[in-house]
Amino acid sequence: MASRVSSKGKGKAGRGPDDGSTARCVKDWSTWAMKKAKVVAHYGFIPLIIVIGMNSEPKPHLSQLVSPV
Amino acid sequence: MGSSVSHAAAPPPPPPAGLAVALPPKAEEKSEKKVDYLNLPCPVPFEEIQREALMSLKPELFEGLRFDFTKGLNQKFSLSHSVYMGSTEVPSPSSGTIKVPTAHYEFGANFLDPKLMLIGRVLTDGRLNARVKCDLTDNLTLKINAQLTNEPHFSQGMFNFDYKGKDFRAQYQMGNNAFYGANYIQSVTPHLSLGSEVFWLGHQRKSGIGFAARYNTDKMVATAQAASTGIVALCYVQKVSEKVSLASDFMYNHMTRDVTSSFGYDYILRQCRLRGKLDSNGCVAAFLEERLNMGVNFILSAEIDHRKKDYKFGFGMTVGE
Repeated sequence: MASRVSSKGKGKAGRGPDDGSTARCVKDWSTWAMKKAKVVAHYGFIPLIIVIGMNSEPKPHLSQLVSPV
Repeated sequence: MGSSVSHAAAPPPPPPAGLAVALPPKAEEKSEKKVDYLNLPCPVPFEEIQREALMSLKPELFEGLRFDFTKGLNQKFSLSHSVYMGSTEVPSPSSGTIKVPTAHYEFGANFLDPKLMLIGRVLTDGRLNARVKCDLTDNLTLKINAQLTNEPHFSQGMFNFDYKGKDFRAQYQMGNNAFYGANYIQSVTPHLSLGSEVFWLGHQRKSGIGFAARYNTDKMVATAQAASTGIVALCYVQKVSEKVSLASDFMYNHMTRDVTSSFGYDYILRQCRLRGKLDSNGCVAAFLEERLNMGVNFILSAEIDHRKKDYKFGFGMTVGE
């Protein structure tokens, strides 16, 4: 049983770099990129709207952003 | 001939040309217009096919206190602050749903431009609701809808590409969990439009197809939808007068053998808007928005579920546009 497991493990390790490695690399990188994009969107979306809004015409004053009136 | 007609008909004598122009259009209205099948109006988007019924029958009922304050910084940019204190229903494994008291503060920023619309709302627990609508060209629109949370694997996002043709609309959707969908709707007569949609869920290897039809005139809208997921939905809205419209809705789920039907009314009066509905599940609901002053609205919401003995009442105020 141990030998079978080890042979299966070795077989998999032997097969990895040859079989579909580019597809797996692309998938790993796209997952990494999606995770980073999600973090960027999560923290940056509202500041992005505020920056775009403060730069639109007529330019509002910074104090209007904070005051309740 | 023209001058004698004008003297006889109208005391302030209009020029004969004026009267001749005034009469024929009325005659044209009464006679039947020939349908120009090459110049049909553009249909409503596929997801809004039932929008009149949804507006009347599904107001945003809530339980507890709600306070919304919207502050406009300029024509396009505004910030919103919203406080909610009340109970929300959480599905529990043991006994259906349980009510959990919650309170949250939500900060939002809106940027509304004819070509670009950005709406973001963030809650105190870190959840972000983002909506983006961007006109890439005159006919092509990109819409993004996302709910991002701090917990992993709970975030959702959807990208939609909409193409608006002369008398048709097509949409392609991509969502997380490998969801892909497309829909198409076409006007076939000035009053009738037909559409269909397909979707594919990658992770569960499920796909579905659905068909929809919408018939509308100035006074009524009737829609029917059927999908391969076993759902049949019909709805009918009749505009009884300028201020009153009545709506009814029927939904049948073939998989769970579930039938729901509801009937509602929508009164749009000068100072208030009152919507009410009655359900076949024994649920009666009403929603009132009263305009107290310019920009100040008072909201009352009530929902009584006789079958589950669940009573929900809410009140709130909305300040700002």
